[in-house]
Amino acid sequence: MDPLGGMEQQCEDEKAPRPNREPTLWQALPVLSEQQSRDVELVLAYAAPILDKRQTSRLLKEVSAVHPLPDQTHLKRVRPSRDASRPHLLEILLCLAEPAAGKRSLAELLPQPAVDPRGLGQPFLVPVPAWPPLTRGQFEEARAHWPTSFHEDKHVTRALAGRLFSAQEQVEMQGHMERAVWMAQQAATGGLRAVGAVVVDPASGQVLAMGHDCSSSANPLLHATMVCIDLVAQGQGQGTYDFRPHPACSFAPASTHQGIQAVSVRTLNEDMDMDEDGLPYVCTGYDLYITREPCAMCAMAMVHSRVQRVFYGAPSPDGALGTRFRIHARPDLNHRFQVFHGVLEAQCRQLDPDT
Amino acid sequence: MEAEAAPTPAPGGGCSVSAEEIEKWMEEAMQMAKEALESIEVPVGCLMVYNNEVVGKGRNEVNQTKNATRHAEMVAIDQALDWCRRSGRSPSSVFEHTALYVTVEPCIMCAAALRLMKIPLVVYGCQNERFGGCGSVLNIASADLPNTGRPFQCIPGYRAEEAVEMLKTFYKQENPNAPKSKVRKKECQRS
Repeated sequence: MDPLGGMEQQCEDEKAPRPNREPTLWQALPVLSEQQSRDVELVLAYAAPILDKRQTSRLLKEVSAVHPLPDQTHLKRVRPSRDASRPHLLEILLCLAEPAAGKRSLAELLPQPAVDPRGLGQPFLVPVPAWPPLTRGQFEEARAHWPTSFHEDKHVTRALAGRLFSAQEQVEMQGHMERAVWMAQQAATGGLRAVGAVVVDPASGQVLAMGHDCSSSANPLLHATMVCIDLVAQGQGQGTYDFRPHPACSFAPASTHQGIQAVSVRTLNEDMDMDEDGLPYVCTGYDLYITREPCAMCAMAMVHSRVQRVFYGAPSPDGALGTRFRIHARPDLNHRFQVFHGVLEAQCRQLDPDT
Repeated sequence: MEAEAAPTPAPGGGCSVSAEEIEKWMEEAMQMAKEALESIEVPVGCLMVYNNEVVGKGRNEVNQTKNATRHAEMVAIDQALDWCRRSGRSPSSVFEHTALYVTVEPCIMCAAALRLMKIPLVVYGCQNERFGGCGSVLNIASADLPNTGRPFQCIPGYRAEEAVEMLKTFYKQENPNAPKSKVRKKECQRS
């Protein structure tokens, strides 16, 4: 019934490698958003020593009312003095300073009578963190300048520490990346660029598509990701390209009725969007493993396809999921997904970049 | 009106077009977008023109193929590759002298694909505020990406208001093929 029937082999047949159960030296680390990855940026502010400690709470109230700092709610208003030789113990943050700020008196900074400056010393300039820290690294850096509040994202902290995945999950991840590496090797054997990719349904562990770069002068855009996205579509009975000349590229036919049952019991159900066949919208909820970081075309194809997570082994020079862009973590695009790098990094680094 | 400004020669002299050519091919692209709108597809139409000949045409085929990368530009690129095969020409010699006429700014994916194909010139209508790869979200068209083909020149704004109106009409009726947003789903459940 299907002209491509010959390709409808299960992805996990005997030709694919068995997962290697030996412990290996790799760690899946998150590729965070620009906001999470950037260095702490500083802005100048005025602070003043509190010479009479008993005035602290009154000063705090009056200064905060006059200069509320709505964009710097992460900054604590009072810090202990860092200079042990100074007579005062506390310093209070008064207000932000202009970029070319100079010396200012209390009278210039604090309108009276709204603030009674009794108990304050001479104001001084101090660099403070411009925006709230999102990772522990940013927090450590920020608080070296001025005390800062930090609402830790435990998920990100665990991910950054490489503690997000259990030993069992890491074995599975390694198995999938080994398949991608094997696909890349198949491409290289056929004289094609050595990039391999695998699409997995994490809810069932089923491998839905295995693809490698098929680009040539006849079709330069068949990168491994584009091949896999079309193979998933072929598994759903559609698709565009004929991959018969590349027999290693394969897909598992999506099983509609089992699919509905499997989907209806999983917690992802609420986030999944089914079409009339009871299948998710293109790659919604699926994971993609790829040997090297995808280019801008492939990264945006993943946004359009609603991929859930991407694991890549090693970066690419023009890579769009961490190196040159972070297309997966932009608030201005309509879909975001998680990206981890480093899975089987040493092996993947030997393979071709995605360009 | 806005595109009266004479296009500057493309870097490397790959392609240059006259105002008359822009008018002629964009009129055809607009007609394709209108047809797409009538068939409840995202109203984007595009043409690839080589030596004053249309070598590829495209409109969105996402729903039909269940492949979310089948944008009008990707369909047109595949048609132009077919044209090269049939006419026995090498794709690189053709694409490097081909202009794309499209009613909406290419998205980030298509902009990167156009770079990889080394298309020198893209004439387009309105901005693509959601996904645009020629400046609206990212500027893939002119970015310094030494391993991703070549940058291309853009002539934006040709009959932009018309192209925007078509998009607005489409999104007002809501894209029946896109996954529903959670907000919309909840609204549906309530009603």
